[in-house]
Amino acid sequence: MSLIAEAIRVRYGGREVLQGVDLAAEAGHVTAIVGPNGSGKSTLLGALTATLPHEGRVRLNGRDIAGMKPWELAAERAVLPQASRLAFPFRVLEVVRLGQQAGTAGDRPDVPLQALARVGLAHHADRTFQDLSGGEAQRVMLARVLAQVWAPVEEGRPRWLLLDEPVSSLDIAHQLQVMEIARRFARAGGGVIAVMHDLNLTALFADRVAVLAEGRLLATGTPRTVLTDTILSRAYGCALRVSAPPPEDVPYILPHAASA
Amino acid sequence: MAALTDVQAPPRDRLSRARALHWALAAALVLASAASLEVGATDVRLSALLAKLVQGEALGQMERIVLLDIRLPRLAMGLLVGAALAVSGAVMQGLFRNPLADPGIVGVGAGAGLGAILAIVLGGLLPVWARDLAGNQLVPVAAFLGGWGSTLLLYRVATRGGRTSVATMLLAGIALGALAGALSGILVYIADDQQLRDLTFWGLGSLAGASWAKVAAAGPMIALALGAAVLLGRALNGLALGEATAAHIGIDVQRMKAVAILAVAGATGAAVAVSGGIGFVGIVVPHLLRLASGPDHRTLLPNAALLGATLLILADVIARVVIAPAELPIGIVTAILGAPVFLWILLRRRGLVDG
Repeated sequence: MSLIAEAIRVRYGGREVLQGVDLAAEAGHVTAIVGPNGSGKSTLLGALTATLPHEGRVRLNGRDIAGMKPWELAAERAVLPQASRLAFPFRVLEVVRLGQQAGTAGDRPDVPLQALARVGLAHHADRTFQDLSGGEAQRVMLARVLAQVWAPVEEGRPRWLLLDEPVSSLDIAHQLQVMEIARRFARAGGGVIAVMHDLNLTALFADRVAVLAEGRLLATGTPRTVLTDTILSRAYGCALRVSAPPPEDVPYILPHAASA
Repeated sequence: MAALTDVQAPPRDRLSRARALHWALAAALVLASAASLEVGATDVRLSALLAKLVQGEALGQMERIVLLDIRLPRLAMGLLVGAALAVSGAVMQGLFRNPLADPGIVGVGAGAGLGAILAIVLGGLLPVWARDLAGNQLVPVAAFLGGWGSTLLLYRVATRGGRTSVATMLLAGIALGALAGALSGILVYIADDQQLRDLTFWGLGSLAGASWAKVAAAGPMIALALGAAVLLGRALNGLALGEATAAHIGIDVQRMKAVAILAVAGATGAAVAVSGGIGFVGIVVPHLLRLASGPDHRTLLPNAALLGATLLILADVIARVVIAPAELPIGIVTAILGAPVFLWILLRRRGLVDG
């Protein structure tokens, strides 16, 4: 089962932000989308989630999303936006329930608290969402998304987590916590697609990486084949050197090595 | 990582409190209704009539007329109008994701006002058959058509390529309101003294003209609109997270907007048509309920119907007794009671208003 995008084109006010991008993500894998600012990462996620009008085709678990109703999509995939503003003073637990009600976990009363416990915020269940810090709010939204697709696989079909910069306002411990949650979801059979800024976290947690630059797909593959000096330097427009010290087999990126 | 002990204390649940509030508000509505039937300009008392009925005595002709043809339709209209205004307010606030929005935003008020003024000032120019057809319902019919028409116009302006922009609707509503105000100004300028007096009283709002005919005209429209609005609870909860996220959690956002806007136009249009301009119910009621039992629209919308009906019936009782045997326009009562509450909201929510 997979999430496959073919020849995705998106225009904003005459400018073609995505110029025919193909992407194939497999359930069981964490697929990261990386690239410089303005390369079209979030726009691609917008097309994958049917949020933005686009050309091209997106198939989710074999079905064209263009023919699916919002509630059918909501039963198969959950979406974490970059930032969330909540209009009314809902409590944290009530926010997580909004996600749960959209999925197939129905009214199981234990799911919202378990989802909050997973992001380490069960003790904040009674607080008003607006009183949380930025990082706490982002983790509550992740709990909401998890409650929506609580079982990574249901009736043999994988569910999907689509995350737009899930760690952007988190400290390093919580960055690792959130990426670990994404990885566990994938290991349990679900699919994860995450727009990422941090190349080191991408190297640590992604099974597949797609590199976007100027609205096109520059490279796709495993972190070892894609996170290379040549590809990254070309994508980001500055000289980057990828290093992998002998004991760990995971690449890491040294900004110190950048030169104009 | 959170310890498992975190999970053991169940958090307080506002949903059960909101459901308890449901029954308390229903009881309050019954009491307010009894009060509304009890008091009035004539010395007919519901309590005395009930005592008479219990003793097996028949009601007098006058008592029958006062109770069944004056106070009961007035009660029914207060109930319909109060519920319509409060639920419309709650729906608009949910749709615009702003606790200070009211149905006026979608142009109902301005359009209905223009319709009413047209009928009052230029109604005399209509051919005789048309005036006979409308009878004394010319003003409410014109107000309803004006309110409904302006909302449809705004909806068309704000919808491009199958998507409705609530921000465009807000701005276009301001423009349309100014235009309707200017046209109304022209009509006020050419109106004679009696018409000016009618206009002023229409603008202040009143249930004094209540009749079974008006209840029969406005009732089905309001009931239908409120029935549709109350079903929007889950969708409006989702919209609190933003339009994109609402769609991601399975809500057909465009259909929800269309239903919300048409329901509000129908309910408010009918309410304003039969009762004139009654302010503050739509803002104060949802806010009080959010303070009491949280913002969940699934309970907020039905509770708003109950509280709005109760408060409007009580305001009507006050309007009838403070200067009896004359009566105050009800819009004055709701504004005197509602404006301080509105200011209190602004002070509490200053951060939200200042952005």
